[in-house]
Amino acid sequence: MALSFKPIRPLLQTGTNAISRWLSYIGLGIGVLLLLCSIQMYINIQQMLKGGSIRKDGYDFISITKTVTNETMGQVEKNLFNAAEVAELKSKSFLEDVAPLEANQFQVELSAAGILPFRTNLFLETIDNSFLDTLPPGFQWVVGQTKIPIIVSSDFLEIFNVFGPSYNLPQVSQETASGIPVLITCSGDDDLEQTFQGQIVAFSDRINSVLVPKSFLDWANLTFKGKISEQSSRLYIKTKDANNPDLLNFLDQKQYKVNKDKTKFGRIKQVFQGIFSGLAVFGLLVVVLALMLFSFYLQLVIARSKESLRLLLMLGYSPGWLSKNVSKRFIPVYILIVCTALAFAQLMQWVFHHFVMYDRPELSTMVNWTVVLVAFLLALLSLITNYRLVKKLLYHLH
Amino acid sequence: MQLRIQQLLPSYFEQSRTQTSEIWGKELLFEKGELIKIVAPSGSGKSSLMNFLYGMRNDYNGTISYDEKTIRNLSLEELSRYRKDHLSIVFQDLRLFPEQTVQENLEIKRQLNPFHPVGKIKEMAERLGIGDKLGSTCSTCSYGEQQRIAIIRSLLQPFEFLLLDEPFSHLDDNNAELAMNLMLEEARLRNATIVFADLERIDFYPYTRLFHL
Repeated sequence: MALSFKPIRPLLQTGTNAISRWLSYIGLGIGVLLLLCSIQMYINIQQMLKGGSIRKDGYDFISITKTVTNETMGQVEKNLFNAAEVAELKSKSFLEDVAPLEANQFQVELSAAGILPFRTNLFLETIDNSFLDTLPPGFQWVVGQTKIPIIVSSDFLEIFNVFGPSYNLPQVSQETASGIPVLITCSGDDDLEQTFQGQIVAFSDRINSVLVPKSFLDWANLTFKGKISEQSSRLYIKTKDANNPDLLNFLDQKQYKVNKDKTKFGRIKQVFQGIFSGLAVFGLLVVVLALMLFSFYLQLVIARSKESLRLLLMLGYSPGWLSKNVSKRFIPVYILIVCTALAFAQLMQWVFHHFVMYDRPELSTMVNWTVVLVAFLLALLSLITNYRLVKKLLYHLH
Repeated sequence: MQLRIQQLLPSYFEQSRTQTSEIWGKELLFEKGELIKIVAPSGSGKSSLMNFLYGMRNDYNGTISYDEKTIRNLSLEELSRYRKDHLSIVFQDLRLFPEQTVQENLEIKRQLNPFHPVGKIKEMAERLGIGDKLGSTCSTCSYGEQQRIAIIRSLLQPFEFLLLDEPFSHLDDNNAELAMNLMLEEARLRNATIVFADLERIDFYPYTRLFHL
């Protein structure tokens, strides 16, 4: 027959100092509730702001530049990214990849080959193909080829269509624009000049530039200016989350300029995460305080039942068995406290999702599994703390 | 199981005590089934010796070992196992739970490692004349009754050594003899050793070895 705690129970004087016991129960309940709600809100913010920026293939592509200040004005090299800075960015865990946007070193002029009375100075850039959102198969160039495939930002076409009519130019669709042959005249040192036929092969929503194949730009830079640029003024970063606080902190610290719109959710997220982290820490403190208060209550119970417990040890009761059974008495009440706090957290989440967020699909009405896990761990922590304390006190009794 | 005592002397006793005592400072071995009688006047360290043998105090020099296991080195868990399975004691100051009933006091010990069924409690209590007291709280019992409760309590578990510290101090000769007979029967049942310390010799204890403390 298993050893029963039933005849031992009346020997523990637990009825005394009920106020201290109830205060610790209430404190623990409030602390756990605060902690669980903070964790749930933290998760809600993560989930709500996950889709806050333009994403393609699960990644954010953002252009960064150096901030040109009065001090750095006119010093081109200070406003360019060098190889070391690119390498540093590449080493960061919050970035998947980094690619410089290389620009032309020579002069470029574009005209519409007589179809449209249109002529402008232009810039050409190139970027690693993996950073392009649309990559048609014809986007390549070999030396000797007179036709250059071009990818243009769809914003540029939009702008052209806005100012075109005021210059008596027709508005054009993407399809028409792709069909218009343009002439690209490159000129460099020593009056070297060559005209190529350019053709728009795609429009990019991602990269605000006029892009040509890398092989062409490298060749042209070498041919017309005699060098390939090793520095670039713009970089594109590829990240899984443009709102990652680590990324934003890093960019701030380096004073790199970034599209604020793409990261504004991240800024809000930073603030809210700060608030809820603070609340979670506060909740944890309340839990610790409640556990301490309960430990005082337990010490009092042991002190008042000292003689009986000492006699039990003398009779041959094991201190381990006694500690386990004394702590076990509080399991139901601890589980009840944590379950009540969890139920309140669930109620709060339902109210938040239903009435505040009007059932937004990215949020869940149920609390996150992490919250349930934390609740379970807290109950376990409380029980282990009690067990260890009682065991220690019993050893001191002997 | 054997009990070995080597050069034992309470740390608060003077060395000169070893010259007059047959226990302090001596080397002794108690075998299974022996009936040991220790006669000692007041203040000679009788209760101290019992406490040392039961592992309740460690303020002594020398060693006490059960089957080569030094009792001083046992952890509290190991000690509790010894008290549950191998050692039993009747304290001089009885040490009962005053607010529990006689039955509850006895059951607390019996359930720890039951040697007898529950029914044996009533049988023993009736045999020692306290059968009608099982439902009373211990604090309402007389010293003599409490002493008999403590004696019955020590017999409800398995043991190889039964330590008795003035177990009859509040009993008349008739009741003391009844209690002694019960203890002898129970010791025989387990082939156990009795170490019986008292102020004087008593006629109804058939000791096999006698020591003067």
